[in-house]
Amino acid sequence: MELQQLVGVIELPRLVLFLPELIVLITAFVLFTLELALSKERKKIILPSLSAIGYVLALMSIGVSAQFKGDTFYGSFTNDALGSLVKIFALIIALTVLAFAGRYFSSKRSFYGEFYYMLAFTLLGAMILASSYNLIIIYVSLELVSIGFYILTALLRGSFISKEGAFKYLILGGLSIALASYGAVFMYIYAGSIDLRDIFTYQGKDYHYLVLGIVFFLIGFALKIGAVPFHFWLPDAYQGAPTPVTAFMASVGKLAFFIPVVRIMPLVQEKFSLTWTLTVGVIAAATMLYGNFVALVQKDIKRLLAYSSIAHSGYILAAVAVTKDIGMKAVIYFLVVYAVMAAGSFFIVAMLERAEGWENRIQEFSGLRFNLPYLAFGFMVYMFALLGVPPTVGFVGKTLVFMALSFDQLWWLAFIVIVSTAISTGYYVRLVVLMYMKEKEKDVVVPQRSYAEALSLVLLTVLTIALAVVPEVIWSLVAPASETLFTR
Amino acid sequence: MVEVIKETFPFVSVSMLVPAVSALLVILLKERYAKAISIVGAGLTFLISLVVLYLFDYSRSSAVQFYEEYSLLKEFNVKLALGLDGLSLIMYFLTTLVSLVAILWSVRDRQINTRLKEYYVAFLLSESFLVGVFTSFDILVFYVFYELTLIPMLFAIGIWGYKLRLYSAYKFFIYIFVSSLFLLLGIAAVSVQHYFQKGHFSFSYFDLLGLSHSEGIGIFLFLLFFIAFAVKTPLVPFHTWLPDAHGEAPTAGSVVLAAILLKMGTYALLRFNVGLFPDATIKLMPFMVAIGIITIIYASWMTIVQNNVKRFVAYSSVSHMGFIVTALFLLNYEGLRASVIEMFAHGMTSASLFMMAGFIYNRLHTFNMESLRGSVKFMPVFAIIVAVTAFAAMGLPGGSSFWGKFLTILSAREYSYTLAFAVLVGGFFSAAYVLYMLKTLFLDVKEESILIHFTDIRGFKLVSFLFLMVPIVLIGFFPHLFFNMFDGSLSYILRHILGLE
Repeated sequence: MELQQLVGVIELPRLVLFLPELIVLITAFVLFTLELALSKERKKIILPSLSAIGYVLALMSIGVSAQFKGDTFYGSFTNDALGSLVKIFALIIALTVLAFAGRYFSSKRSFYGEFYYMLAFTLLGAMILASSYNLIIIYVSLELVSIGFYILTALLRGSFISKEGAFKYLILGGLSIALASYGAVFMYIYAGSIDLRDIFTYQGKDYHYLVLGIVFFLIGFALKIGAVPFHFWLPDAYQGAPTPVTAFMASVGKLAFFIPVVRIMPLVQEKFSLTWTLTVGVIAAATMLYGNFVALVQKDIKRLLAYSSIAHSGYILAAVAVTKDIGMKAVIYFLVVYAVMAAGSFFIVAMLERAEGWENRIQEFSGLRFNLPYLAFGFMVYMFALLGVPPTVGFVGKTLVFMALSFDQLWWLAFIVIVSTAISTGYYVRLVVLMYMKEKEKDVVVPQRSYAEALSLVLLTVLTIALAVVPEVIWSLVAPASETLFTR
Repeated sequence: MVEVIKETFPFVSVSMLVPAVSALLVILLKERYAKAISIVGAGLTFLISLVVLYLFDYSRSSAVQFYEEYSLLKEFNVKLALGLDGLSLIMYFLTTLVSLVAILWSVRDRQINTRLKEYYVAFLLSESFLVGVFTSFDILVFYVFYELTLIPMLFAIGIWGYKLRLYSAYKFFIYIFVSSLFLLLGIAAVSVQHYFQKGHFSFSYFDLLGLSHSEGIGIFLFLLFFIAFAVKTPLVPFHTWLPDAHGEAPTAGSVVLAAILLKMGTYALLRFNVGLFPDATIKLMPFMVAIGIITIIYASWMTIVQNNVKRFVAYSSVSHMGFIVTALFLLNYEGLRASVIEMFAHGMTSASLFMMAGFIYNRLHTFNMESLRGSVKFMPVFAIIVAVTAFAAMGLPGGSSFWGKFLTILSAREYSYTLAFAVLVGGFFSAAYVLYMLKTLFLDVKEESILIHFTDIRGFKLVSFLFLMVPIVLIGFFPHLFFNMFDGSLSYILRHILGLE
């Protein structure tokens, strides 16, 4: 009798909802096995092409899985519009990472087969993280993404800064996961459930447990997204990691780490909304001011972009403070387009790093237009996009943030956004001025450029402008992602 | 509700596309074709604008004519809405005219000797964006074009400018970009106000006209908009970017900057600040007039003491912009007319003055006022041009600025004679600096041995001057040709939006 009851509870997982993840999972294991079996020369060709095939298949399968909405695995995995949107961009960016990784590593005179399956596992983690309400699943996928990033950061074994960055990331990342899980425990104590939806709709008496839980949970995620004052690992890790990995961390990593926070947004009740707004708002204000101020004095381009990434976490968090539909749309749009901008700008740095004698100093950008006109143009587009000059996605993102902030009359936060953007003008425009208005100091030649790289950069650059000029395309994904969560 | 008239042929978007396409051609083809393509492109745009001037229905100048719209984002009601009412029409004509003049001038400018392709691309694109600024009836799209004009100008100053070009380019970009972030916040806030009042977001100018703001919000939004436009115009505490930008920009850059880009500020003040927040405008009017008069007098004093002729002209521009803003915020019919006609007139005279400075620089290789003494002596044609421009800028009857200044004084008199007197004092100072400049150029004597080798103005440069001289004289003697364009729009603003008179 008891056995029958148990068997009766078992439901078959609806694998169609899980299809993209499943494909990436299989790809990862195949890559892992082949990495052990194949010879080095073969690996160089087979591993990237297999990953590319896997990712393309996964991308196509989103077309199928997006038709079916709902939960599976006993409610621990949720497939909805938000998840699909994140997965589309995560997979596209992962594909472009593949285009840059091979040449980058061979220019460092090394080849790492583990890069490909670690990338696949990290991607898998990011995809699951983006589509779960379950605290346990969030914890597991968070670990999966983080461990992947620790290893990918330390991939250049010979380099000191690579190891330093990875070690810092490991320690602070571990702390963040500890804090987030501690917060999860408090939430469980409050509601007796591990599903975020149940926790936040539960009308219990012991609010202090929930508040404590939210605070720890938020701090844990603030560490991951590099919000001030929990950002110390970020510049070192971004600088130390191989640049294609940095691009992946800054884009897909940030996208995935933000999603659980985004999923909480519509669940924040009236009772806590002021607490939420103030906590998130103050963190956002500190993050964007600090990030932009410190970026102003950087001499290394990767550190500059890392601090700009911190600043962008701040802009996005500013919209997180507004727990309304418009705030959520701003967050989702800005997250997705920031992923595109960050990936593009780091990829250009990755290409430049292959040039003889390139040391990532900002001064080396002088007169880049005369050496590499197309790369310089692309980089200019990204700089203007990160600054928020129309008609780029960064501009639309800032407009949406302003709309969200004026919706809740958070004028003080809006003015801090203005001030910090004003500060950021200094370093973004300086790069444009260096590239286009200074004489060149030396010849910069990028050897062995490939069509895959060129194609990826063109794709990302076109997206940077097209998603702003023809916003209807992406809006048809962003709007349902937000609206389904709010009408639930 | 503003009347909207559609046209079968999309004149406005074509006059944006023609320069953009020419810019593309300049990029794709060889460098030696760059000049020809840009002249043809800008000339074609100018011809289109003449056709538009001919087809425009002047009896209904308050209506938005040649209207076209293309939806960009339905949920927020963002549309590429282009059209021309009387006010837009004159600014649009100014844009196509001055852009053509700037490009004609550059053809023989010896200062421009490197990176020709990029140079012409910058000017063609800025023409395209400027047309967008003056014809957009969607406030977000307006902002997009408003910001886009920054980029070609950043490059024009930074690449082809004089010694301190990088510093000036930075300063220019940072001032304008940062100030316009306030505008962006204002635009976002206005659309949110539309959501609160009408239930959906909208950036359309026509929708936003129908809003009524509570007093506090109205003034707050007015100020957010005002900061951006005050820096752009510029008004006195915010003007410090302008002398640097003008002092270092290449001649054609200064021409476009002074003649058109500054007008974006005053145009937007009239279109958006006055149009969208009429109650706040009426409330804040005395302060705005005061800022305007301070700008006139302070900038006139600064002009007289300048040593560099380009900075001299730059400060004189600031003082003229002071006239425009003062007249605008007097908020009566004569005042609005004065401010709009002065926008156009100042576009002509300042462009001409900067070209004079550039012309003399090509001969003498200096901008120092001291070394310009008597420099027009052996160039009779040039001397005539200088005299016409200078007297027109001074406000002599028969010149273009006369109507602006005269009507400003007339409209100030409706409030009080003291106010009229203050404006008159401003006019007096502006006459003083123009006379000082004329004295330096004409009457002071220098060693003739250098001057005697100067050849007189001719060719492309003469043509580009003539393009400016004709409107200057036309405004002076037949002002109604121009008043006809925008009188209807202004009385609509006054009667229906402000509810005055």
